[in-house]
Amino acid sequence: MFSAKIKSEVLREITDVISTLVDEAKFNISPDSLSVRAVDPAHVAMVDMSVDKAAFEEYKADEGELGIDLDKIKEVLRLARSGDVISLDHDEDRNRLVVHVGNITRQMSLVDTAGMSDPKVPNLDLPAKIVLRTNEMRQGIKASESVSDHIALVAHSDGFEMISEGDADTVRLDLPKDLLDELQCKEKVRSLFPLDYFSNMVKAISGTSTLTIHLGNDYPVRMEFTFAGENGRATYLLAPRIESE
Amino acid sequence: MVFNWISPHDESIRGVGGGMCVACKASKRLCGKPRCPLLVRYHSLLKTVSLVSLHMAGSSPPGFFAGRFGYPKLNIGPLVPPFYGNTALLDHPEEWLNFSIDDIVGFRSQLVRGLHRVNVAEARDGGKLVGRLQELAIAASPSDVELDFMKRPRGNIVFRDNVQPYGPSAPLRRMEAGTLSVHRDLERVWYDGDLRAHDALLWLYTEGVEVSRISRALSAGILGLQAKRKFVPTRWSITAVDDAIGKHLVQKAKGFPLINEFRVYESWKLDNRFMILLVPRSWIYELVEAWYPGSTWNPTGRRIAMFADWEGYRGRTTYAAIGGCYYAARLAIAEALCGEGRQAGALVLREAHPGYILPVGVWNVRENVRRAMREPYREFTDLSGALHYIAERLEISLKQWMGKSRLLRYLQTQRVLEDYPGVGG
Repeated sequence: MFSAKIKSEVLREITDVISTLVDEAKFNISPDSLSVRAVDPAHVAMVDMSVDKAAFEEYKADEGELGIDLDKIKEVLRLARSGDVISLDHDEDRNRLVVHVGNITRQMSLVDTAGMSDPKVPNLDLPAKIVLRTNEMRQGIKASESVSDHIALVAHSDGFEMISEGDADTVRLDLPKDLLDELQCKEKVRSLFPLDYFSNMVKAISGTSTLTIHLGNDYPVRMEFTFAGENGRATYLLAPRIESE
Repeated sequence: MVFNWISPHDESIRGVGGGMCVACKASKRLCGKPRCPLLVRYHSLLKTVSLVSLHMAGSSPPGFFAGRFGYPKLNIGPLVPPFYGNTALLDHPEEWLNFSIDDIVGFRSQLVRGLHRVNVAEARDGGKLVGRLQELAIAASPSDVELDFMKRPRGNIVFRDNVQPYGPSAPLRRMEAGTLSVHRDLERVWYDGDLRAHDALLWLYTEGVEVSRISRALSAGILGLQAKRKFVPTRWSITAVDDAIGKHLVQKAKGFPLINEFRVYESWKLDNRFMILLVPRSWIYELVEAWYPGSTWNPTGRRIAMFADWEGYRGRTTYAAIGGCYYAARLAIAEALCGEGRQAGALVLREAHPGYILPVGVWNVRENVRRAMREPYREFTDLSGALHYIAERLEISLKQWMGKSRLLRYLQTQRVLEDYPGVGG
């Protein structure tokens, strides 16, 4: 069983974090929290997210799974005004999610979760750790988007850099150590990533002020952040581009 | 006298290179094409034109054409050859791949086009002539018609990239048709004024109606909600149908498991060489075209001109700059994937060689790719093996394809998460 009430802003945050990678997701429900682990269709990126029951206004659940079409949740969110509380109830007999927003009730059919297995999380040894403000990152991405379709993340003992090299122009965001909340990096590391993914991920992190990045050399990046007023935690993994071939 | 039939304002002639043709007179091959495209057109026109006067009778394949100039007013009309018989082949691109360019130009130049000026909205209630034309457009088989023209049909054969060429034309005064045997499925959607055009064309496709018939029906304004029906210029209708059906099939293919290997398919017809690479990745698609100097759309260039357009898993939201070919090839690939019940990423490489002297329509791309996908494929365990083979089969070097192909660069450089050892799950 699953029955919850949640503020529309919080539901939007949860939806954004997942929907940047997938259109449908399997929500694993437990008495204390709700979690999603999903890989995008191209298997380039992964999200691993969990939200504690404290993020909800009300939350009652047993162990279970809900297959949800995120576009439908977005449609519901478009009906909600700021501050509205949305209620979600699983109708097990009909296998539907009953959603109330304002005076509207939507009977939402669920997606079959049989084909949605939990993806494996790669075991990554990433030597560098950077904690920075999400705003800075967003500026860097904004500057890069017109220049190239990929972006290099570089960490060294003095700071963190984002570099985007196009055919004609180059954009570079420099964040020296004193502008970072934390930096752990002994040797310089650099990995290259597809900008469209990276950009969509960073844009999806709306309710977060700081972001922790774990970085290696030509290796996937791991980005960790909290949202929903510290009651939600998420990790993004993004596979790199390797140029030397 | 000879040039009565070929207007000096014909854009396709100017496209070949203005004064160059005068200096050459089909004897010096100044444009670099193996044969003079003007003569190919001219000879096939002569045959038709001598048979046509103010009154004409023949069997329409059936054929229907809607021009696009002046939209929302446009010229609609029948395509009819000046003779009776089984003329189905003349407007049936699904069968044309095994003919030469000369044959195809021959088929098309026999089709005289009647012109009837209408507003697109007249598709709803355009009176007797419009009704007869719509009926003809959905006829199941060649239909005998008699045409009266305002003046004697004349003009050039017109060639456009998307549209099959057709012959002389003249304003239509009257069309008489015997009892037409209409296509059952097309008739059904014609009478269903509550069925949206999009749903109608998908339904027709799943019923097995050929794409050329569906686009003719869309063009003739017989699909869609009764109050919204419109004539659609033929060239728009072809790509609209390729796009809508292709999108539908791609969506379906996304539900199927990935192929297990790298595959290479090929087809080489009308001096167009197509190589198709399928990769074991989720849906992603790109078409890269290379036009040789002397081929249709690169008549005066000295270098090979290359163009590319692509889409990721979630498709695209803007019209592909490459045009109708993009959608025609995508349809053919999605069709093959759905037929097999598999999903893959697809790259289509096209070399249009100089022997492709005249544009014959996007059906060339659709049918070439379909043909490739029907033939046995070569199987490879990795990308480099597949690319190596493709490089052998094409003239243009891999390096040049790579320079244009975003998808190739993506496949070569982008890692996936499975490349890294995992835990959990």
